[in-house]
Amino acid sequence: MASVTINGQTVEVEAGSTVLQVAQRLGIEVPTFCYLKRLPPLASCRMCLVEIEGLRRLQPSCATAVTDGMVVRTDTPLIDETRSAMLDMLLANHPLDCPICDKGGECELQDMVMAYGPGKSRFRDPKRVFHSRDIRLSPVVIMNVNRCIQCQRCVRMCEEVVGAVALGTVEKGMDTAVTGFEGSLASCDQCGNCIEVCPVGALMSFPYRYKARPWDLAETDTVCPHCGTGCQLTVGARKGEFMRVRSKEEHGVNRETLCVRGRFGLDFIEGHGRIKRPMIRRDGALVPVSWDEAGDHLRRRLAAVESKAAGGVVSPRLPNEVLYQFQKLMRTVFRTNNIDCSSRWSTPFAALAPLLASYTRAPLEEVIGVDSLLVIGCNVTEENPVTEYLLRDAARRRGARLLMLSTRPSRLDADAEAVVRVPPGREATSLAALVAALAAAAGDKLSGDVLAALGAVTGSATAGNGSNGPDRLAAALNDGGTVTVLVGVDLLRSSEARVALHQLGNLLQLLRRLGKNPALQILFDRANQMGAWDMGALAAALPGPQAVADEKVRATFARTWRAEIPAEPGADLDTMLDLCVAGQMGALYLVGSDPLIAYPDREFVARAFGAADLLIVQESFLTETAALAEVVLPAAGYGEEPGSFTNNEGRIQQVRKFRQPVFEARDNLAIFDFVAALGGQTVQPSTQIEIFDEIARVIPAYQALTWTGLGADGAFTKAGQIPPLGAFHAPPVASHASDGLMLVTGNCLFHNGYLSERSEILNTIANDPYVAMSAEDAVQLGLSDGDQVVVRSTRSELTAQLKIEKSFPKGLVFVPENYRSLRLNSLLRRGEYPCPVEVQKAETAREIEGRNRVWRGA
Amino acid sequence: MFEPVLLKNVNVPEGHLLSSYEAGGGYRALGKALRENTPDEIIELIKRSNLRGRGGAGFPTGMKWSFVPKRADKPKYLCCNADEGEPGTFKDRIIMERDPHQLIEGMAISAYAIGAEVAYVYVRGEYVLAIRRLEQAIEEAKAKGYLGARILGSDFNFVVHVHCGAGAYICGEETAMLDSLEGKRAQPRLKPPFPAVAGLYASPTVINNVETLVCVPHIVARGADWFRGIGPEKSPGPKLYCVSGQVRKPGLYELPMGIPLRELVEDHAGGPLPERKIKAVIPGGVSAPVIPEQGLDVGMDFDSLAAAGTMLGSAGVIVVDDTTCMVKVATRIIEFFHHESCGKCTPCREGLNWVVKVLRRIEAGEGEAGDMEQLDMLCKGIFGNTFCALGDGAAMGLRAALAHFREEFVAHIEERRCPFH
Amino acid sequence: MTMREKIEQAAGRYPDQRSAIMPALLIAQREHGHLPGAVLEEVAEILGVERIWVYELATFYTLFHTEPVGKFHLQLCDNVSCMLRRSEDLLTHLEEVLGIKKGGTTPDGLFTLSTVECLGACEMAPVMQVGDDYHGTLDIERIDALIARLRATVPDTTGADLAAAEPPGG
Ligand SMILES: Cc1cc2nc3c(=O)[nH]c(=O)nc-3n(C[C@H](O)[C@H](O)[C@H](O)COP(=O)(O)O)c2cc1C
Ligand code: SF4
Ligand code: FES
Repeated sequence: MASVTINGQTVEVEAGSTVLQVAQRLGIEVPTFCYLKRLPPLASCRMCLVEIEGLRRLQPSCATAVTDGMVVRTDTPLIDETRSAMLDMLLANHPLDCPICDKGGECELQDMVMAYGPGKSRFRDPKRVFHSRDIRLSPVVIMNVNRCIQCQRCVRMCEEVVGAVALGTVEKGMDTAVTGFEGSLASCDQCGNCIEVCPVGALMSFPYRYKARPWDLAETDTVCPHCGTGCQLTVGARKGEFMRVRSKEEHGVNRETLCVRGRFGLDFIEGHGRIKRPMIRRDGALVPVSWDEAGDHLRRRLAAVESKAAGGVVSPRLPNEVLYQFQKLMRTVFRTNNIDCSSRWSTPFAALAPLLASYTRAPLEEVIGVDSLLVIGCNVTEENPVTEYLLRDAARRRGARLLMLSTRPSRLDADAEAVVRVPPGREATSLAALVAALAAAAGDKLSGDVLAALGAVTGSATAGNGSNGPDRLAAALNDGGTVTVLVGVDLLRSSEARVALHQLGNLLQLLRRLGKNPALQILFDRANQMGAWDMGALAAALPGPQAVADEKVRATFARTWRAEIPAEPGADLDTMLDLCVAGQMGALYLVGSDPLIAYPDREFVARAFGAADLLIVQESFLTETAALAEVVLPAAGYGEEPGSFTNNEGRIQQVRKFRQPVFEARDNLAIFDFVAALGGQTVQPSTQIEIFDEIARVIPAYQALTWTGLGADGAFTKAGQIPPLGAFHAPPVASHASDGLMLVTGNCLFHNGYLSERSEILNTIANDPYVAMSAEDAVQLGLSDGDQVVVRSTRSELTAQLKIEKSFPKGLVFVPENYRSLRLNSLLRRGEYPCPVEVQKAETAREIEGRNRVWRGA
Repeated sequence: MFEPVLLKNVNVPEGHLLSSYEAGGGYRALGKALRENTPDEIIELIKRSNLRGRGGAGFPTGMKWSFVPKRADKPKYLCCNADEGEPGTFKDRIIMERDPHQLIEGMAISAYAIGAEVAYVYVRGEYVLAIRRLEQAIEEAKAKGYLGARILGSDFNFVVHVHCGAGAYICGEETAMLDSLEGKRAQPRLKPPFPAVAGLYASPTVINNVETLVCVPHIVARGADWFRGIGPEKSPGPKLYCVSGQVRKPGLYELPMGIPLRELVEDHAGGPLPERKIKAVIPGGVSAPVIPEQGLDVGMDFDSLAAAGTMLGSAGVIVVDDTTCMVKVATRIIEFFHHESCGKCTPCREGLNWVVKVLRRIEAGEGEAGDMEQLDMLCKGIFGNTFCALGDGAAMGLRAALAHFREEFVAHIEERRCPFH
Repeated sequence: MTMREKIEQAAGRYPDQRSAIMPALLIAQREHGHLPGAVLEEVAEILGVERIWVYELATFYTLFHTEPVGKFHLQLCDNVSCMLRRSEDLLTHLEEVLGIKKGGTTPDGLFTLSTVECLGACEMAPVMQVGDDYHGTLDIERIDALIARLRATVPDTTGADLAAAEPPGG
């Protein structure tokens, strides 16, 4: 501790704090430009200079560590004069074109000049103009070099936080300019974080440029709809029209950062293909009708199929209140537990339950402030970019050891201490090998019976073919202290999901026995997957999620809901589709869910839908699934109804409404009312706030939350009791790894699911659909980067551009699952993932119309 | 007569070859140091000699070395600052071109003292001949066992690499040089941490000027007392003076520290050109404030010059005679700093730009009332507020020119022309 | 040695590949005459470093040229010591005899004329660097002789020859 006096106020602070931090703590304002909280100090702008007793010169407070007994002044005439001189010099070369500058009204330089600047500039020589035109660095980034004040926040952000190393600084002295390689950012992440941190109007958003003045915007704080990281952001709209997204410097898991999807991908809400009116199928075609007509039709048809099974699938992108109400509707009105909440996999609740029970509901920032970080089964760089920024920071600046175990390489591997490449689909085997290696490394630290129990289940598992295999990873886990395990959705995608989750359970158990106090979070690729589970949009679980089979739980809900709840666990997605195919499904009710494009077997899911008696789709966009439906109900889209999301951290945050549902769309909750009323029933309560209150009453983790209590940073749901240590699961049955090419799917950086494909901006940024493979495989197949290639499975084939990934292991083929036009799922056969494929050069370079969008600079 | 020590070999034909160097007793000091002294004893010796850095700041070399942690789990580095960018300075070039082994020997002993096994010589890229000679000398020294593993039968291993600069004055600033060596844009770093603790690749690093390092073998050979006995005790030793500009015999002179500037310029360098009078002298490269003729009796050492409001700097002595316009000299100097500003900090990058604009106007006879005050203001805004000493040097130099030759500036403004045209 | 081999050898002197960008650029510039984007990309690829880092250095340091320069790059020092020895007169003279302004290149591609900051050879002011060599204590006669000598080293300077001699990638 050190005792420091600033402007006469004395405080005790932690040694190592900077003068600036202490001043801020005391509420003393010190102007800064180059300082950015999450970056190491640069001390180049010289705005924050202060007087320190005993030192001849003024010192930059952002970079000066306090010492015990230090006496600081920030309010002397010399300091006033110096700040004013710095601003005067900056302004002297600044264009002062504020009236046409996008930043006008929210410019830090403007604000600073108001507060500390000279009344009038002393300079009268001509200003520097060294670039007469703005430079279009990328589809979304445009630069006015003259306005730059060289704080270098953007460049540091790009390199140190985002890890893209796309922006840099060229020339020197007065000619210094921030730019990309050869003046282009065509191949950067397009996250726009550089724009966000620019204090002036130098780096600007191209899509937003000249569109509005900040004071004309109605701004709404909300949560990003794309991935499960759950970033806070602010939507700016003018007269209900979407204009831009900003991040909020001080709030959310993300603070001032976002990824490309969050910053530029919200314009999907303006995308084409909105369903304008309800539709029903007549003579084989969907025709628009009024809500009343749709209601009449639906009432008749529901009555007709009443004797058969019913089922519901709901999207994990919808708010908690909608998810909760949907499962309640299914259970109490349709009287079925046939519910699932993913269009891509069946939720293996039994295997998940013990993991969810010990889920760490806490800020990611805290969770990763530990010794070792083990990231399993995802490409976090592309799937959860903002989470990745935090992981990089943990590795680079907080001294965490990063350990990776995944099929797809990611940019984060470069900061990792050990990397294990999992052969496609072999997550379970790799995890089993890691458990075995860790047990071996721990040796004596484990008691004999644990070793024996493990020995029985680990056998001779072998893991991946990574450069430094599971042994190094196990050694690092064994040497280090506390461990945090972050798990991606590759585990859920895998056809061995259940076994992989069991092995993950083994690993966590072993870590607990070794005293590593493991924390666990899942890195979901859908915004509210956590919420969907918590809300009990599951066949086997009621809200909590708590097993349906548990009589006590059922009784509690029956009492709250004043309704009987079917006792048997219901059908999950796969089983529901089986019921369809077997002709046993009456009404299949899909809310926001588009399995036709997402379910990993297009042929099968199409057949199933064809065989269901009554397919109801409640959606905001006319998806391919909706096009197959008998009844289509237009629902409010993102931003058109209020609610809450629960992110990967277990943080619940308000998703706010910033405009009315368009056309005849209605709130999802209102549509549930409408559907229930068709059978003369109700699902009470039915308003969003009341439902939230009910959630806060009946779900233990949500207990005592209040709607108004969800502030700018949301609130944390409560972790459950860590279950007692149990037995280890048996290892996966040894199967033969194939030598051929294996297709793996997942999200790419620029898209997340299929909604983002409706974003015009993301579509201009993102590359054409592509097929990624290793250089070695490509050479062997005589393929080169950029070739049009055909990927063929036993089922079907697709054509896309080849992207050679140097870091890919041999045998791995990756196709992003976000491009509707590829119909990627038509290659897949259910139960067979990853999928063996062949890749060859497309015979005639097939022109894919309108898709040649690789951006090559203006 | 003072016997040259550092320049002893410089005029020997083929003096850059190892054979010539050895013939003059070269590498004996290295042998002596390795045989007879522990590293700590060498540091002590250098401390006692009062050797101060010849790169510009005059920091005591022995003390700098003693800041290097004795135990460290990282490798330590020695960097030789041979960037020599200060206008008016050419001493390091001449040593590297004509007596490179002297530098290598100095580096080897210094590295031994601080416990470094790898050194980089950062030579400015324009010095092609110096670079070639140095590389050739390194090869020769390796072949003879003066560099490499287990040097001269000791446990000491040491290699030297040449790193070519590529044209940026700021690389002479020691922390900018480290960034440059790490493959980054050369911009100064925050201190602390100081290089001795976390320098190149975050490892303990000592940076010394060429001339500083070549003093070392002589101190080892002849003792600290000998060195301290030359010139003022607090700022002693043989010193290289680079004399250029409007004098009869520009050139490199080795003379004791503390010799009067007048004696250097008028006796050794032959005084002013025919029919001219000396008007002013810049004593230590363009970062050093100018001294008007009346001040030439000052001693050429760190402390005397500091007391006179200027500095020894790189000992680049630039002589200006009475035919030359001081506004023009000042403008050219500021243009240099402006051109070489790395661009990191506001006052240097932006401030110098304005100084240049105003000075050019004044020089062109377009000065206006208020310009002098504007220049004073700018100096005030820049001096003391820049990130590194480049901006300070620029502001100090201009202040001195404005103070000593104010009437020349005012005349330009009032007459709206250059009186020297 | 190929350029790649030279660069890899230079990189061996440093514990970190990034340090080798500067030496690599010097090698590449000797090879190609200047440093167009494709060369920068090649350097980045050889060293396995970020392209932007290479680009940053290629533009920060004045000895690197991203644009082509003449066969003989006349770099006349105009810093104080040379200025005091009238290097300005030499500049005017050079501009006249070459028919180009400072910063320009003669149409035959032979000469580029620049002024540079102090070359560190003030004892022989005024000084000019041409290629690797320093030429000192210059006056108008010596300059003329030097230009004549440089011209004489080029056999027949027809445009066609020079076009053929252009560095690859230029
Ligand atoms: C802008 C600037 C330029 C410098 N240029 C040089 C230089 O060219 N050569 C040099 O030896 N020192 C130069 N220095 C001084 C170095 O920073 C450093 O003090 C010196 O290399 C230390 O070596 P020494 O202790 O042996 O003098 C410069 C300093 C500054 C601020
Ligand atoms: S004073 Fe500032 S801009 Fe100038 S060279 Fe130093 S750090 Fe760079
Ligand atoms: S904020 Fe401290 S120098 Fe910029």
